[in-house]
Amino acid sequence: MYKLFLTFRYLISKWVAVFSILSVWLCVAMVLIVFSVMDGFLDNIKQHSRGLLGDIIIDNSTLQGFPYYEEFSAYLKDRLPDEIDVVTPVIYSYGILREPESSFTKPVRIVAIDFDSYCAVNNFRESLYYDRYYPDTTSLGLVQKPVAGIDMKGNSILPERLEAAHREYLKNRVEEEVDHTDIAEPNYRSPHGVGGFEQHFGLPGYEGNPLPGIIIGTDVVFSRDRKGVYNRSILDRGAEIVLTILPLTSRGTIAENPIPVAMRNIDDSRTKVYEIDKICVYVDFKLFQEYLSMGALERVDGSFTEPRASQLLVSLKDGKDYNKALPKIEEVWNDFLGTLAGNVTRYEADLLSSVGVDTWETRQQAFIQAVEKEKVLVTILFGIISVVAIVLIGVVFYMIVLQKTRDIGIIKSLGATSAGVAMIFIMYGAIIGVIGGILGILTGTTVVANINEIQAWLASWNPKLQVWSPEVYTFDRIPSVVKPLVLVAVFGMAVLTSTLGALVPALKAAWVWPVKTLRYE
Amino acid sequence: MVLARATKLHKTYSLGKTKVSVLRGVNLEVHEGEMLAITGASGCGKSTLLHILGALDKPDQGTVSLGGEDLFAAGTWRRDAIRNKDVGFVFQFYHLLPEFNVLENVLMPRMVGTPTLNWLSSSREAKSKATEILETVGLKDRMKHRPKELSGGERQRVAIARAIVNEPRFLLADEPTGNLDAKMGKGIMECLRGLNRNGQTIVLVTHDPHIANQADRQVRLVDGRIEA
Ligand SMILES: Nc1ncnc2c1ncn2[C@@H]1O[C@H](COP(=O)(O)OP(=O)(O)OP(=O)(O)O)[C@@H](O)[C@H]1O
Ligand SMILES: [Mg+2]
Repeated sequence: MYKLFLTFRYLISKWVAVFSILSVWLCVAMVLIVFSVMDGFLDNIKQHSRGLLGDIIIDNSTLQGFPYYEEFSAYLKDRLPDEIDVVTPVIYSYGILREPESSFTKPVRIVAIDFDSYCAVNNFRESLYYDRYYPDTTSLGLVQKPVAGIDMKGNSILPERLEAAHREYLKNRVEEEVDHTDIAEPNYRSPHGVGGFEQHFGLPGYEGNPLPGIIIGTDVVFSRDRKGVYNRSILDRGAEIVLTILPLTSRGTIAENPIPVAMRNIDDSRTKVYEIDKICVYVDFKLFQEYLSMGALERVDGSFTEPRASQLLVSLKDGKDYNKALPKIEEVWNDFLGTLAGNVTRYEADLLSSVGVDTWETRQQAFIQAVEKEKVLVTILFGIISVVAIVLIGVVFYMIVLQKTRDIGIIKSLGATSAGVAMIFIMYGAIIGVIGGILGILTGTTVVANINEIQAWLASWNPKLQVWSPEVYTFDRIPSVVKPLVLVAVFGMAVLTSTLGALVPALKAAWVWPVKTLRYE
Repeated sequence: MVLARATKLHKTYSLGKTKVSVLRGVNLEVHEGEMLAITGASGCGKSTLLHILGALDKPDQGTVSLGGEDLFAAGTWRRDAIRNKDVGFVFQFYHLLPEFNVLENVLMPRMVGTPTLNWLSSSREAKSKATEILETVGLKDRMKHRPKELSGGERQRVAIARAIVNEPRFLLADEPTGNLDAKMGKGIMECLRGLNRNGQTIVLVTHDPHIANQADRQVRLVDGRIEA
């Protein structure tokens, strides 16, 4: 009984204990905030990076890709009809993007996709900008440039197809999901406050040659202002763009001279993974397969080469687990190779033999791991901070024990056991951990819940305090999640640390030999 | 009836290389219900002897039996329990706990001796017992005061109340009046004598012959032995 009684009395009568509580409190709050932001960051990256992959990825790591992908797609669907939903081919290549009017150039990664099936295997469609505000107006086929005009009242309007699409959007939109950083005040070049269009003082319409569409990664051309709004007026929808490409043969040699392809900027894609959005452009698969010399080409002997793709993306039917599907698909691939045996050229065989099957998760591992490693690093850092907290609590308690040596002797002379005396200080430590932990969790979760508001408030004092700048990061808001497991772990650590910190002083107290302290005043 | 018996107690302190032999074969019997005064020159080992009798310290050699039980053959936990139940200690410097008020200080031995769960049911009884004792030592109206708000004599009476709250068989007092002026010392002695009249066995250490004379019996510690 006396243990609890003494613990509580010392807790309220010793002001130094406040420092221990304060240190635990601050540590817990800090760990919680940092972990929540890192977890949020990681979750966001995982979620978005999956966006552009399928459940399963089949590819080899060469630029020239691999042949017989169409045959395999059909074979795969045939073998696993209950599992496979959509299979779509992708070609990756590199090129130079040039805007003729401004002579702006940039190296880009070309992603050649079959628009409809690509949108069916992943969330690509959700990343598109114009396609959200003008639904179904984005495609990679031949397009002209839409031009805004003036109606009878003098208002700026777009061609009817775009106006109709926008009405459709307004009808279906969910107010909570509107991203106000996407839309600006309407003006002549942007009748709905969306993007940028060329503007004529006449009727709206289309102009220019029909050219293939290209979807540009948002960060390839556009940049954000302080508020995080992209300035799209620098490149109108439908503006002409030249993509210069370098076709390769199946042996990896350069097939022809670089080809400049004139295209129209039809949309931009923001997956919110900066590494993707700053470099990728998306073009039509069939067209670029041909341009990149990956289609069927006639050989000198009159036969044709096999068309190639860089990658197949597979989406599974709802409820199928990609980790379980993986070995089955691997098996189908090996069977497929068996059916080809003997009928392929040496170069084709080389390309086929290096093909591998993976889940999106293993594929993104390198990327995800980088952030996860950072988390480990931060964990180690906090481990060190915890040691500091342990030492601090240890020192504070040691002081208390030294100060209370006589009282410990008295309590022992009244019959308290050494273990009982040690328990007083261990409980003292544990209670400080509990109090500091609860305060820390309350503070931490409050800060995390309002972290964006806090930042906005800080930035209103001094713009330099805007740590998480939308100019730098792809995410507009500071991402954060408070995971229950982290809560429990951090709280447990707080209690454990404080108890450990109290351990040495508690043992010291247990060692007090009553007579020595009672002999004098 | 012999309550406590010390046999051939030896105790040596070592200060660096020099050894101070304080007790050199002390034999002592304490009878049930008596008030025994131990006297002797300053530094002769009176406190050391008293601490050993009360299981606060261990002798190098020799035994102490309390009510037939060998104190130092028993384990540490048993000795802790004996200190709690069977021995009451009054020190020269009162040694009250400053964070607790008078009543709490008196209750402390009760709390130490009661498991947490039992305390819930026995705290009422313990409180009325402590109040009763404080009344007999004349401090009923000071129960809520902290020790630092009391005079030396009052503090010593609180210490006596604390020492007897568990109704020990054996009350040990080390110079209980040593730090008090004559008037207050007289009050303390009256208090102890009153307890003794009610059957409490008391062993008292003092170098003041005037105080020793008030005891039933006196022994003198000389050269590490009890003078016959
Ligand atoms: N822990 C210790 N280490 C070394 N010597 C000690 C220790 N405790 C006591 N002594 C020595 O043992 C001797 C006896 O001490 P003790 O306190 O028992 O004497 P005392 O008779 O009570 O004296 P006083 O009348 O001054 O209270 C003294 O010389 C003292 O210095
Ligand atoms: Mg002494």
